[in-house]
Amino acid sequence: MNSAKLVVRNITRRRGRFIFTLAGIAIGIASFVTFLSLGGSLKNEIKREATALGANLVVIPKSACVYEQVSILTGEQLAATITMEEVAKIRAINGLAAVPCLTEKTAINNRPVPVMGVLPADMQRFKGWEIGAGSYFGSPDEPGAVIGAVTARQFGLQPGSTVTVRGERLPVKGVLKESGGKDDLTIFLPLAVAQKLFKSGNLVSFVAVKVDDLAKVDGYITKIKETVSLGVVSDQQMLKSVLSIVGTVNVTLQLIAAVSVLAAAFGIINTMLTATYERKREIGILQALGARNSTIFTLFLMESAGYGVLGGIAGVVGGLMFSAFAAPYIGQNAFTAFVKGSDVAGIFDVKVMAGSILFSAIVAILAGVYPAWRAARLSPVEAISYE
Amino acid sequence: MSEAGARDWGIVKGEIMTETIIKTENLHKTYTSGAVKTHALRGVSLEIPRGSFTCIVGPSGHGKSTLMHLIGGLDRPSDGTVHIDGTELSGLGNRELAAVRAKRIGFVFQFFNLLQSLTAQENVEVAMMLAGVPEKDQAERARALLAQVGLAEKCAARPSELSGGQQQRVAIARALANSPDILLMDEPTGNLDSAAEAEVLELLFSLHRQGKTIVIVTHNNDIARQAQQVIRVSDGVISD
Ligand SMILES: Nc1ncnc2c1ncn2[C@@H]1O[C@H](COP(=O)(O)OP(=O)(O)O)[C@@H](O)[C@H]1O
Ligand SMILES: [Mg+2]
Repeated sequence: MNSAKLVVRNITRRRGRFIFTLAGIAIGIASFVTFLSLGGSLKNEIKREATALGANLVVIPKSACVYEQVSILTGEQLAATITMEEVAKIRAINGLAAVPCLTEKTAINNRPVPVMGVLPADMQRFKGWEIGAGSYFGSPDEPGAVIGAVTARQFGLQPGSTVTVRGERLPVKGVLKESGGKDDLTIFLPLAVAQKLFKSGNLVSFVAVKVDDLAKVDGYITKIKETVSLGVVSDQQMLKSVLSIVGTVNVTLQLIAAVSVLAAAFGIINTMLTATYERKREIGILQALGARNSTIFTLFLMESAGYGVLGGIAGVVGGLMFSAFAAPYIGQNAFTAFVKGSDVAGIFDVKVMAGSILFSAIVAILAGVYPAWRAARLSPVEAISYE
Repeated sequence: MSEAGARDWGIVKGEIMTETIIKTENLHKTYTSGAVKTHALRGVSLEIPRGSFTCIVGPSGHGKSTLMHLIGGLDRPSDGTVHIDGTELSGLGNRELAAVRAKRIGFVFQFFNLLQSLTAQENVEVAMMLAGVPEKDQAERARALLAQVGLAEKCAARPSELSGGQQQRVAIARALANSPDILLMDEPTGNLDSAAEAEVLELLFSLHRQGKTIVIVTHNNDIARQAQQVIRVSDGVISD
């Protein structure tokens, strides 16, 4: 017999309570890890999207608030309110490249997919797109689609197949090389084709602008504002305001995570206090057999730690399963839309897993201190006389 | 009259034993719970010779268990001293007192002696673990002790699978785990039928013949009649 064996025997003696306590810890730790990694990946993903956007400035409706800015980064649908005349005026300004974008949405197999109408040649130059398979648009109003790599893979689209957008069957011209940004998820159409399909007349959602000289960015902002009655936001401003929202989301997520861990800790305290009460007599027997107070304390603390380690392992496994099965579905929300593909894999990181289990064990040990102290404090006679 | 009474347990009465292994001087114990004070012991002085078979008798609630607990270092007296094999217990810290309980004394109580989640063998091994015996040296000795109490076949049984008498014999095997000189038994047969009681007593007397000092609280007059020394506790003092 050794302490570990004794602890295992004690921890598993009440199957039901053991399993429910464990489930509580597992859920607490799983949500803690999931929420934290969601929050973290949210931030990284936003930064990456801002880079992938490739614009220094974005022209948006004057009334646009931070939520529209989020939409630009996520590729969410954005109402088309900017006229092509306004676009032409912006494009006429010297020293900048401006591309109009119409953001819409369609469904393939009942899954929403972002659609973007672009000026083919200008956009390719603007983004530096490379073609992974097939070809690019031949003419600015050719009815056809160029597909982001991830969407192409997900729905089995390739050059030669057709994709249905708004009831219109369009030939797939080509597939873009994977870039890691939201372009991978988007179906691109020539602007004219998109405007016709989505009946948005001659309107676009926003205009992405790249300036020749970054030092003069403020000057360009003024110039654009003088030229058209629209709002202009720099990518840095956009990043800042979006990140501040994400910050709020993060705090909320962290709070939920903390509460779930706290609930798990109370579950352990409750279970261990019940155990000390139930085993009062056995504690007395152990003392009669020569157990010191510190031995009793250690045995009970080890039992809590056992809950922590086992619960942590179960939590990590649960978290992995949640990430694998549920994460694709939470990508529908504007904020969680950032969490896609590779970043959810953050939880698969061995360091994160080991850290979670360690964290769980530490929480459990802290939660076990009071019950263990109660057990160790029992006087032998009091414990022995208890029936 | 129980069957046990008809038996001769082979206690060698009258054998002269001079060395004292347990000695108490003017033991007092007062329990305080709230405003109520219970004077469980009021000045108990006794000497128990090494290798003797001593019975403690007396009415319920008169301090027998309290006396056993003080002798065994499970509790500390309000006043007075306990000497075990020359060691004065009040001079020991909690750790050293625990070590005395682990190595020099074996306890058996009236009921619920065993750890319910462990097998018979593991119950014996726990006692060795607490005395610091390495794990690899435990199993063989535990099995030998269980064989000695006639439970070689029950090593893997849980307490719930054992009869009352068998449970008490496991508790005795466990009390012997670290070869203590002294066995303290608080009504070990109080919960048993007479057949099981006879088996347990047979075992105790054979341990006595092997040289153990046995102190037993009992209501069984037949045992008391054969003991070398009978201590009558009445109202917290020794009568006679
Ligand atoms: N832990 C305790 N707290 C308060 N009173 C106690 C405690 N243990 C025993 N007593 C009281 O001390 C007296 C002696 O008890 P005990 O030694 O158990 O007697 P016996 O073993 O002879 O039946 C009784 O009145 C009992 O109620
Ligand atoms: Mg008693």
